[in-house]
Amino acid sequence: MTDKVLIVDDEQDFLDVISDRLTARDMNVSTASSAKDAIKKIDEESFDAVVLDLMMPEMDGLETLKIMKEKNPDLQVILLTGHATVEKGIEAMKLGAMDLIEKPADLSAIVERIKRAKAEKIILVEKKSEKRIRELLTRKGW
Amino acid sequence: MSNRIDPLGEAGLEFYSKVSASISHEIKNSLAVINESAGYLEDVTLMAKKGMNLDMDRLQSLAGTMLKQVQRTNTIIKNMNRLAHSLDDPASQVDLNALIELMINLSERTTVTRGFKVSAAFSDTALTITTHPFFLENLIWLILDFAMNVTGDAKTIELLPVKAESGARISFTGLEKLTASEFNDFQTERVRLMLAALNCTLQTDENKGIITINLPETITQPVQ
Repeated sequence: MTDKVLIVDDEQDFLDVISDRLTARDMNVSTASSAKDAIKKIDEESFDAVVLDLMMPEMDGLETLKIMKEKNPDLQVILLTGHATVEKGIEAMKLGAMDLIEKPADLSAIVERIKRAKAEKIILVEKKSEKRIRELLTRKGW
Repeated sequence: MSNRIDPLGEAGLEFYSKVSASISHEIKNSLAVINESAGYLEDVTLMAKKGMNLDMDRLQSLAGTMLKQVQRTNTIIKNMNRLAHSLDDPASQVDLNALIELMINLSERTTVTRGFKVSAAFSDTALTITTHPFFLENLIWLILDFAMNVTGDAKTIELLPVKAESGARISFTGLEKLTASEFNDFQTERVRLMLAALNCTLQTDENKGIITINLPETITQPVQ
């Protein structure tokens, strides 16, 4: 099954090239050049991972991360940043980011994080299914 | 020996640090595009070696992207260099149009990130005064930072440099929510010291939403 990923960055050139490269690696890639567009996309579709630029116009990455996590706490978000400060990194992790990668990043590092994000998502989904089944069994008394 | 930090020096360092952080972010963004483009070339080379056809149009567009990013980085570094050299001389002849353009470019990431559009209506002729360029750049930076809190819903600020009898004026327009009380709070010790160092004054028109810097043609006592 292909990995479904959303890349969010206000640099259109970056989006164009990285989406081509990830698609060539059998990934199903969607892009968004603004936080608003990204939030709309996660409302409409499910993604294995979101790669999100930390600094964007109008709404920064941390604010976007917060909204995304409120909408879907299981969403796996990898932050991408041009200048990561320790404080921002800690804040991002507290808000539930899976990881933080500094630009320019090695594509293999991004791919590895996306694969890890998908694995995390599968574990979370399985745990939820198991919990639901247990609740059902308890309720029905089987 | 006094332990008191020099407010003017502190303001200058804060300004320089913020601009440096913004510039490094911009350069890293450019590098990220160039990095991915180079990676893409590596990918297609490997694919071509395996017998896949090359998409010439895509390669041409990629070359264009890389050239554009190199130009962009070059402009960023040129601006950084100009800012660094503005500390060379405590009093030098500056073209206000060029200085304002530099400040709009240097503050662009900060203003755009906050959702603001800053522009200038430049005069056709060169507007030359003798001043301390770094302090003037710092003052413009501080006013822009303050202005973003008092603009109207349009979130636009326009800078108007004009020649005046005593020297020159730079007006910041679009500050619809400007009040006397907020302007008073803005005039901290560092701002007052900066105004003194530049031998200039600030003037406001709350009804029209304008702050104006009145600059002399030549500063009389350059700060060493």
